Amino acid sequence: MLKLTSINTSYGHIRALKGISIEVNKGEIVCLLGSNGAGKTTALMTVSGILKPDSGDIYFERESIKGLAPHLIVKKGICQVPEGRRIFPKFTVLENLETGAFVSAVQNFNKNLERVFSLFPILKERKNQTAGTLSGGEQQMLAIGRALMSNPRLLLLDEPSLGLAPILAGKIFKTIAEINNEGITILLVEQNANAALKLSHRGYVLENGSIKLHGSGEELLHNEDLKKAYLGI
Amino acid sequence: MFLQQLINGLTLGSVYAIIALGYTMVYGILELINFAHGEIYMLGAYLVIIFLGIFTAMGLTSANFTLALILSIILTVVFCSAYGFTVEKVAYKPLRNAPRLSPLISAIGVSIFLQNFIMLTQGATDRGFPYRFGEGHLYFLNVDITYLQAMIIIVSGFLMFSLRIFIWKTRIGKAMRATSQDKTMAALVGINVNSIISVTFIIGAGLAAVAGVMVAAYYGLINYFIGYIAGIKAFTAAVLGGIGSIRGAMVGGIILGLVEGLGAAYISSEYKDAFAFIILIIILLIKPSGIYGREIDEKV
Ligand SMILES: Nc1ncnc2c1ncn2[C@@H]1O[C@H](COP(=O)(O)OP(=O)(O)O)[C@@H](O)[C@H]1O
Ligand SMILES: [Mg+2]
Repeated sequence: MLKLTSINTSYGHIRALKGISIEVNKGEIVCLLGSNGAGKTTALMTVSGILKPDSGDIYFERESIKGLAPHLIVKKGICQVPEGRRIFPKFTVLENLETGAFVSAVQNFNKNLERVFSLFPILKERKNQTAGTLSGGEQQMLAIGRALMSNPRLLLLDEPSLGLAPILAGKIFKTIAEINNEGITILLVEQNANAALKLSHRGYVLENGSIKLHGSGEELLHNEDLKKAYLGI
Repeated sequence: MFLQQLINGLTLGSVYAIIALGYTMVYGILELINFAHGEIYMLGAYLVIIFLGIFTAMGLTSANFTLALILSIILTVVFCSAYGFTVEKVAYKPLRNAPRLSPLISAIGVSIFLQNFIMLTQGATDRGFPYRFGEGHLYFLNVDITYLQAMIIIVSGFLMFSLRIFIWKTRIGKAMRATSQDKTMAALVGINVNSIISVTFIIGAGLAAVAGVMVAAYYGLINYFIGYIAGIKAFTAAVLGGIGSIRGAMVGGIILGLVEGLGAAYISSEYKDAFAFIILIIILLIKPSGIYGREIDEKV
């Protein structure tokens, strides 16, 4: 469904991605692991069109999306929940969800809204509250809900568990599985390798801008090198 | 006397306010002070005179003055908006990721270009507005208001009201408010950020054009340099209200107009232009964020 081939992306003269190739098949949850500064966020921002790769290609459903403007990529069905959630702090919860619906057909609005509210009932309770006043967990739910309002076929999630208490993080991971069960393909960026791998069909390990390892979730979970480097076991 | 000066100040203030809106909207979206904005007001003043001249040559002005005037204003707004749109594409967009000083220098370059272009093509001496209109008077509580003054206040009020509705009630307005909070995130939810930026420049330029038309008619005399002073005053109004805040630009403009009107009457008319600078210095010292600068829901 999504295929990155030999992608190079730089910030000025600093090359952050050094020829990475990643593939995500329809219906999968694929995780992209790596420590801080490995290039995970850069990879997602390149897929979303915020950063332009120097070389390589990006295909979505066999069609190249490289160089497409970010809003057109969202229209094609790829939506990102970025690192740090980035909800619109001055908007209410409902207004945030409305911004998510800008690209989807107007007649789907109520249906999508009901779906988001059933996934995250707390958002319904808080729908008229200013989003900036929500807790970290609620903001993450709002960020995911906002992305779902665009009816994505591929959801990119950048460290959704970051800064959340373990119970909340667990809840977010459960929701991710639920969203995937509804048929949405997921590319999940995480530092919490253990939890992410348990959830994922396949995974890639990024180190210094290059893919170091890839395999099924099960394989990676039992990989000795990975255990030492990332799982802290 | 006091009420009279209040009306004069309000007339001027509403013009400052609608120019200030252009500064504040662009700042709200791009965090850029568009120092080429004041020149659009000057361009508007010249264009309306030029278009009226063309309609006069065609015989329309004598046949139907109101129609000729309205057509001239519409054409002026369209031209100025196109100019504002082009300036953004040519002078700012290529510098969007450049250091903050670069677009500022580019803006000054654009200003100097337009000023000199007008000076060379239209002459360096004052130009007069070719027609007098709206000279009838209203008397109200011993205050003398010309029809033109009343028209300026009403038109400005209407434009400000319409802008508020646009920003708060429409889809594009909501996209503008989202973009002003987080441009990258706006793009990630599917907003075409480049179009939103263009819309912002088009609206700002259109408002400045109307201000230029109104002042050309009000004072009756213009020159290629009026954009500079008006630009600085409107910028002061925007800073006074809290740059980035729509309501701030409106309130700031009115306050500045009133201070100028009253200051000219009671302190010294010679120092009329200095009041704006004094206010600017005082705000920058006391409350650089301006009146509404910290208000969370007001930035465009
Ligand atoms: N805006 C930026 N400007 C310059 N370098 C950056 C920028 N963002 C990230 N980098 C660099 O690119 C590399 C990858 O960063 P990032 O993709 O954010 O990593 P991760 O998300 O895996 O923590 C890091 O070395 C980081 O310092
Ligand atoms: Mg990151």
